Amino acid sequence: MKITRIKIGAGSCGIAAGATEVVDYFKKEVRDIPIVEVGCIGHCYAEPLIEVETDKGSVFYEKVLPKKEHLDRILGLKDEGRLAIRSQRSEREKIKVLALAGRIDMTSMDEYLANGGYEGLKKALAMKPADIVEEVKMSGLRGRGGGGFPTGMKWSFLAAKEAKEKILICNADEGDPGAFMDRSLMESVPHQVLEGMLIGALATGATKLFIYCRAEYPLAIRNLKIAIEQIYKHGLNKLNARTVEFRLKEGAGAFVCGEETAMIHSLEGKRGTPRFRPPYPTDSGYHGHPTAINNVETFGNVPLILREGGKAFASVGTQGSKGTKLFALAGDVKYPGLAEVPMGVTIGDIVYEVGGAEKGSVKAVQIGGPSGGCIPADKFDAVVDYDSLKSLGAIMGSGGLIVIGNDRCMVETARYFLEFTARESCGKCTFCRIGTKRMLEKLEKITGGRGTEEDVAFLADLGPKIIKGSLCGLGQTAPNPVISTLRYFRHEYDAHTKDHKCPALQCNQLSDVKIHLDKCIKCGLCIKTCPVHAISKEFVVDNAICTRCNSCIEVCPKKTISRVEKGTGYYGKSGGN
Amino acid sequence: MSITITIDKKPFAAEKGETILQVAERNGISIPTLCFNQKITKTTSCFVCLVKDAKTGRFVPSCAMEVADGMQIESDTPEVWDMRKTALNLMLSEHSGDCEAPCTIACPAHAQVEEYVREGKKGNLLEALKLIKERIPLPMSIGRVCPRFCEKECRRNVVDKEPVAINDFKRLAADMHYDSYMEEMKPFTGKKVAIVGAGPAGLSVAYFLRLNGVASDLYDKMPQPGGMLRYGIPEYRLPKGILDKEIAHFAKMGGIAIHCNKELGKDLAIEDLQKKYDAVAITVGSWKSSAAGVEGEELAVGGIQYLEKIALAGWKGDNPGKTIVIGGGNTAMDCLRTSVRLGSKEVTCFYRRTEAEMPAEKIEIHEAKEEGVKFEFLVAPVKLRKENGRLVLTSQRMTLGEPDASGRRKPVPVPNSDFDTVADTVIAAIGQKTIAPKGVKANKWGDVEVSKENCRMEGSIYAAGDCVSGPATVVEAVAGARRTALAILAQIESKEFKEPYLLNVSRGKWQSLKTDDLVFLKDPIERKRTPQRLIPEHDRVTTFKEVSLTYTQAEITKEGERCIECSCTAKGDCSLKKHSETYTAKPDAMVGEKPNFGYDVRHPEIILDRGKCIKCGVCVKVCGEVVNQNLLGFKFRGFGTHVDTAFSQPLPSQLCRDCGKCIGECPVGALDWKLKK
Ligand SMILES: Cc1cc2nc3c(=O)[nH]c(=O)nc-3n(C[C@H](O)[C@H](O)[C@H](O)COP(=O)(O)OP(=O)(O)OC[C@H]3O[C@@H](n4cnc5c(N)ncnc54)[C@H](O)[C@@H]3O)c2cc1C
Ligand SMILES: Cc1cc2nc3c(=O)[nH]c(=O)nc-3n(C[C@H](O)[C@H](O)[C@H](O)COP(=O)(O)O)c2cc1C
Ligand code: SF4
Ligand code: SF4
Ligand code: SF4
Ligand code: SF4
Ligand code: SF4
Ligand code: FES
Ligand code: FES
Repeated sequence: MKITRIKIGAGSCGIAAGATEVVDYFKKEVRDIPIVEVGCIGHCYAEPLIEVETDKGSVFYEKVLPKKEHLDRILGLKDEGRLAIRSQRSEREKIKVLALAGRIDMTSMDEYLANGGYEGLKKALAMKPADIVEEVKMSGLRGRGGGGFPTGMKWSFLAAKEAKEKILICNADEGDPGAFMDRSLMESVPHQVLEGMLIGALATGATKLFIYCRAEYPLAIRNLKIAIEQIYKHGLNKLNARTVEFRLKEGAGAFVCGEETAMIHSLEGKRGTPRFRPPYPTDSGYHGHPTAINNVETFGNVPLILREGGKAFASVGTQGSKGTKLFALAGDVKYPGLAEVPMGVTIGDIVYEVGGAEKGSVKAVQIGGPSGGCIPADKFDAVVDYDSLKSLGAIMGSGGLIVIGNDRCMVETARYFLEFTARESCGKCTFCRIGTKRMLEKLEKITGGRGTEEDVAFLADLGPKIIKGSLCGLGQTAPNPVISTLRYFRHEYDAHTKDHKCPALQCNQLSDVKIHLDKCIKCGLCIKTCPVHAISKEFVVDNAICTRCNSCIEVCPKKTISRVEKGTGYYGKSGGN
Repeated sequence: MSITITIDKKPFAAEKGETILQVAERNGISIPTLCFNQKITKTTSCFVCLVKDAKTGRFVPSCAMEVADGMQIESDTPEVWDMRKTALNLMLSEHSGDCEAPCTIACPAHAQVEEYVREGKKGNLLEALKLIKERIPLPMSIGRVCPRFCEKECRRNVVDKEPVAINDFKRLAADMHYDSYMEEMKPFTGKKVAIVGAGPAGLSVAYFLRLNGVASDLYDKMPQPGGMLRYGIPEYRLPKGILDKEIAHFAKMGGIAIHCNKELGKDLAIEDLQKKYDAVAITVGSWKSSAAGVEGEELAVGGIQYLEKIALAGWKGDNPGKTIVIGGGNTAMDCLRTSVRLGSKEVTCFYRRTEAEMPAEKIEIHEAKEEGVKFEFLVAPVKLRKENGRLVLTSQRMTLGEPDASGRRKPVPVPNSDFDTVADTVIAAIGQKTIAPKGVKANKWGDVEVSKENCRMEGSIYAAGDCVSGPATVVEAVAGARRTALAILAQIESKEFKEPYLLNVSRGKWQSLKTDDLVFLKDPIERKRTPQRLIPEHDRVTTFKEVSLTYTQAEITKEGERCIECSCTAKGDCSLKKHSETYTAKPDAMVGEKPNFGYDVRHPEIILDRGKCIKCGVCVKVCGEVVNQNLLGFKFRGFGTHVDTAFSQPLPSQLCRDCGKCIGECPVGALDWKLKK
């Protein structure tokens, strides 16, 4: 086997794991083999990740360090350190949108072209705009930004408008905590997203193409800028008789600016707050011009539709949801990362087979981020599909999928998400601005051990009203995490309020810390670690001093320290109750 | 007209492009709005204008949602009301302000205190009197004897621990203008009401009925009207000449006839009154001294009987000799100080708890001490007997135990602590009870039993004053009398009597506030309370001359400048208050943190009080879209959102003084002129 090229995953996830140092080291040490920086292939848990191309196919190495030992291992194509892509995972996944992500040089247009890039655009250039729209309609593609609105339909509205200026915006604000599908696409295959936008411009007659990307994505912005320059250089922005231009706007990071009318306001230089619709942006958007907004992943799908045809695209998926969906898999799984699955796989497949979570260790997933809801483990045979997720009280969302292990408290989980939305509310509507705050206060009271049944009733009453009385999707979905945990995990709320217990022992006010002395080897690590000196020489935790920081639990080599029910730990004389 | 929609199942024609609100308003369907304003583009932020689209099942803001053919709108269902009410409750939960000044709220009669204090300060005492008399028909008397509920809650206390001398504004206003003032009254309706008891309650029922065109006959068992004002409260606190002048005004109003020496149950029967009049009001007060329950009690005289006798004699009487008054209330104080004035050199108060628990007004205790009254605390009577022509009171020492139902610590006897005291007069002033005349229903305390909702005993018989509440105060009697008069009016007009719900958002009681918690339109003036001038000490202990003097007009102006004008600048003009009252939204329905973004009074004439801002965004758009200045904008997000000026600079003084457009459109009192009218 002969090594032809070494590809180092240097997307944000790779960089976070130390890829920059690996790149520098490899470039310094290796002279005769080309080394390229690629994006993310989705196996983020294995970063820094290296793909070694040989004349007989590729070999992957995981968790590579800038060390001679690792370098030798790779150059020698040794078995040690290889990434084994588990068959359970590859059987569930269907890599389409991500096919080139992490496989080609992030900044090379040539490589994109060499791998079928811009074939979709080429086809589209030869088609009538209406036929492009028709093709997209036929594909059944629905918006990947969360709402799931049929993309072809949205484009047909914009196409139908007679106007001097028409705007097409790529929504790259990606504000949900934990989501990074869009970032990954823009970093790894910027041309694929831009090609989708150019096809959109052809289909709708859009004259200006905006990308609204959050400023926290510097690598995505850099790669997009490079790609746009390359497009200009190649003249790919000449769409038959006319020329379109891209404009890249860096957003200040407000979650609500992902909402389309807020985004338009922000692009206009105004405060990023949503406004009432109708009029819809396709009637009156950016500075009054007809405007359509699509998500990064939506655009990322478009070149595939044109290349393979709408019908072929629609062959994957369920009745109402076609194609594949990217998920940012996080939480209590063995293999967090980016996954691409066909619509119609079950939640269980993603959690257990792709994520590698152990059966029985998980009690729910939160899908759709802070706007979504939880799905309990006994409903994991639900399939990934816009409508069936909705019927369970969750949403497809943009693709955040957080796996919640048994040792997490669902009330605390709900509180965590609501804290995010309450903070991110634009502050305009009464229900959203004040209502989420009032709900958050009650959740804090409950997790703080002071909650009552009335507080739970308050949440159940106000939540649906906030949904009904809010202007935009933020307020209309903010109570979802609370409502869905109330629906499936009411017993956990009741345990907090009626029995003053946190079943998961996560809520600090409702749990104590205890060293189980029978297994303790008296190594003293816990005593040294405890920042508030709550552990005595006799290895007893004084819960009156302990701040429940978990440091000792994490450091104990024998795993003999744990949280226990409030009141069953030791309390010294120095305070506490 | 091309489109038809239904609102509450009724079809209406509509034009394309119209909003649901426009169609509703055109057809007389009222929908509340706060952030909607025709001068600017839609803000759609308050969501009190919600209606339900029955077809989609969704709630939509009617101010922004355009009509579509076949739309079915629900605007009057319990669900819609609940959503609007919830929106209002949420807004109130973060609202800080004072719809009304705390003094006005504290006054049982809810007289417009801040307003009459302001008029007094400006020297418009006639205007002040007019405001006072809207709620208080007896300002000369109340201006002298009111225990000053209002001053106990006065916010000025936060600044320098001394309230504004509110009651003295009443006294001066009444003393100055009583002869000339006459209220506007409605023409007679031909209806007539009988009122039994011509004390403060009876007179006030007559007054409020007369204002509304209803005549009355007052009957009283005593030779002269006034009730306790005449036969209880001593001359040195309320000269009877003043009382005569006050009561004379009722005759001047016309339609109010007072018949004395007529006792219900003796000279009159309730059935006859009921037949003869459109309604009957029972206002007979609480005239029976409570029993002490000790042996030999009959040798003592009851507190009010003692005063009544002296009153009937024109505040003259024999020297009572060595006097002991049992009790610690206001009646006891009056008995003590009256005894001093009759020439007794040894007057002692026996009270079973300590000074701190005494129900009497502090000022009364203080003045009694000044006049030489002695106090024995923690003693209780055991037995009274006569020995050698003098009285011997056996008492025992007490100590304070656990708190009782009233929250005060209960006195318990110290064993074997009995002691004897010799006296010439022993007065038991330990409370009064109502004597319900024949035909009047009494409850277990002996007071007249009336419905809480409408003050009605039964049929057309109503009651008010002490005989309903038990012994209370003049101003409370007046307040209850007003309610009763309005309830009688409603019955006469065959309407249901319902007290309107009045929203009052409050920043809280002064006791729990610091200066930083308050909003000052301007810096409070540094000045202590104007002291009350009293007659010389010698006159106080030898005559029944009125002890305190009326403030001068100059003193009232100085005192008025101490008022920090607590109520909302938007009083009477606040849409949040209006809608909250319609939807019975309450400030404490959804308690939680209230943001404190402070206030801005840097502009000489404009205040931005962020605690009252509902973040409707109207001002921002008015300044931007109408005035083209963009001087206002929102800052921060979520619960931290608030209005601020551009770069937090003061509003330009000339430009905004001349403009003021945002102020005119602010639906609440958040942006307002500082000057109160
Ligand atoms: C000594 C004393 C001092 C007080 N000091 C103060 C004070 O400083 N400030 C304050 O606010 N309050 C004070 N009060 C309380 C106050 O006087 C009463 O709360 C107030 O007068 C109650 O008004 P009223 O009209 O309900 O009753 P009253 O004033 O008692 O009037 C009742 C009237 O009904 C008449 N009446 C009774 N029975 C009959 C009948 N069967 N037929 C016909 N007529 C009848 C009586 O003659 C009397 O005129 C004092 C009370 C007393 C006793
Ligand atoms: C509060 C809020 C935040 C949103 N954030 C995003 C986002 O970060 N990215 C995105 O694509 N869509 C986001 N959306 C959805 C967009 O409003 C819009 O529906 C979407 O961009 C349309 O594109 P699509 O049809 O391709 O999904 C958000 C919506 C709301 C209400
Ligand atoms: S629902 Fe929330 S985020 Fe959306 S416009 Fe209203 S206040 Fe702003
Ligand atoms: S703004 Fe309205 S609700 Fe607020 S204090 Fe003033 S009057 Fe009351
Ligand atoms: S300061 Fe003035 S307005 Fe405020 S409570 Fe006192 S008298 Fe009333
Ligand atoms: S008064 Fe000043 S801030 Fe208000 S609208 Fe006019 S210019 Fe703007
Ligand atoms: S200050 Fe402005 S935003 Fe606040 S309530 Fe008044 S008009 Fe509305
Ligand atoms: S949202 Fe319609 S009036 Fe405020
Ligand atoms: S409290 Fe208002 S008159 Fe006395």
